[in-house]
Amino acid sequence: MPDKKSFLSIFYQKTQNKSGSSVPVKPWVLILNTFIVVIVLAGLMGFGFSRLQYMFQWENVWNYRVNMVNGFLMTIAISAGSLIFSTILGVFFGLAQRSRIHILRIFSRFYIEIIRGTPLLVQILIFFYVIANAMGINNRYFAGIAVMSIFAGAYLAEIIRAGVESVGSTQIETARAIGLTKKQTYRFIIFPQVIKRVLPPLAGQFASLIKDSSLLSIIAIKEFTMAAREVNANTFSTLETYIPLAVGYLLLTIPISIITKRMEKRYSYET
Amino acid sequence: MKLNIENLTMRFGENTVLDSVSISLKDIHSLVLIGPSGGGKTTLLRILAGLEEPNSGLITINEHQLNCSEQELLKYRRRIGMVYQAYNLFPHLTALENIVLPLVQVHGMQKKAAEEHAITLLDRFHLAEHAFKHPVALSGGQQQRIAICRAVAIKPEFLLLDEPTSALDPEYTSEVLDLIEELREEGMELILVTHEMGFAHKAADYILFISDGGITARGTPQEIFESKDNPRVERFLNKVLKYN
Repeated sequence: MPDKKSFLSIFYQKTQNKSGSSVPVKPWVLILNTFIVVIVLAGLMGFGFSRLQYMFQWENVWNYRVNMVNGFLMTIAISAGSLIFSTILGVFFGLAQRSRIHILRIFSRFYIEIIRGTPLLVQILIFFYVIANAMGINNRYFAGIAVMSIFAGAYLAEIIRAGVESVGSTQIETARAIGLTKKQTYRFIIFPQVIKRVLPPLAGQFASLIKDSSLLSIIAIKEFTMAAREVNANTFSTLETYIPLAVGYLLLTIPISIITKRMEKRYSYET
Repeated sequence: MKLNIENLTMRFGENTVLDSVSISLKDIHSLVLIGPSGGGKTTLLRILAGLEEPNSGLITINEHQLNCSEQELLKYRRRIGMVYQAYNLFPHLTALENIVLPLVQVHGMQKKAAEEHAITLLDRFHLAEHAFKHPVALSGGQQQRIAICRAVAIKPEFLLLDEPTSALDPEYTSEVLDLIEELREEGMELILVTHEMGFAHKAADYILFISDGGITARGTPQEIFESKDNPRVERFLNKVLKYN
């Protein structure tokens, strides 16, 4: 494998030949093509900035670097917590929709429709000022992770439900016929196949989760975007704060792409 | 095998698929079910496999009455082998893993012993070279033969096969039928639903012709294929044997 641990492994390693079967890309082609894409994009951006005649004053922002880094760390902490809890919620409600217990199916349906159908901003406000307040949760960070988990969990539940349903009924029937219990069928037949199929949408959902966490600034959680806004307000160096902001989010989302691509490979079974 | 069915009725909604079917058979080694599509033969086989609960009726196989609790049916299914029309194998597992999974998870064998057992079986049916391939890399015939290996690996009381060759190219049909025939000659008892009349004639001890929700005709292969006294059977045979 030429792509061992390389950063480029998030890009496609295979291409299709004329007959439609996939063949590996030669390493030099990969490097050359990646180079061309980077040059073209950089050229476009460079042209745009040169027309703007913007005077970059990085030292203004550099003075506030501690604020930016703290915000970045806060976003990592919130995202990591929400990622774990949203996965738990997603798996639970994804499977609950197939439960034999009717009320659980209804509850899942309500949860998913309400969360997916309303703005995250409203959910954050209602959760923090109404629900968390009534339950006596005063820790805004805890509340922030909870509301992000509930939000992302609804999307994950649908991804997981679709993944489980994509495993054909004949396979489930075969599993019954060879005498597997329901639990064993999930463990040995359904989950191994679902993981591979849901990884790409899951990666997208996790990336969204990281970026959506910026909305938590309205309950005064000083995460990355909030920190950048404050720095901007103090320095009036808009691009100098927002470009590092974009790079910072990429530093979080690209590893997710790399990890899921790796896992996809690990779980792939089609030749 | 001893098979006793009393007043078996199966309905799907408004549709009565089996209408109080009764039969009593003794000393049968291979029972073949033939008949037109939608006649109820697959449903009957699925009930015999413990996969479907009939609306009413009593079934006794080898002195063992089919109990209708899911727990009992699960135990029952673990003692028999079932082969479907197609897509039997789990696509994420290799041929070997497909055979080993029920041995280890259902029948409590050690992984190593199960693998050896599976390899021996694959070797016997000239499938050893495919042991580490995934189903997608195998032909339909190879997949079906491996599915049959999985079903017999657990040393089942008997084997149920639901149109095991219907989804295959003609070229692969004979290799699958050869394998079934080989098992039959070794004394594996089986109940088979098939459209392969030649094979039914050759391999059956007894044939049930199932149509319109009931057993329209029954008898030895000679009785079914050579007597012309049942117009429903004759019409069916004339059609399916037209180009044979």
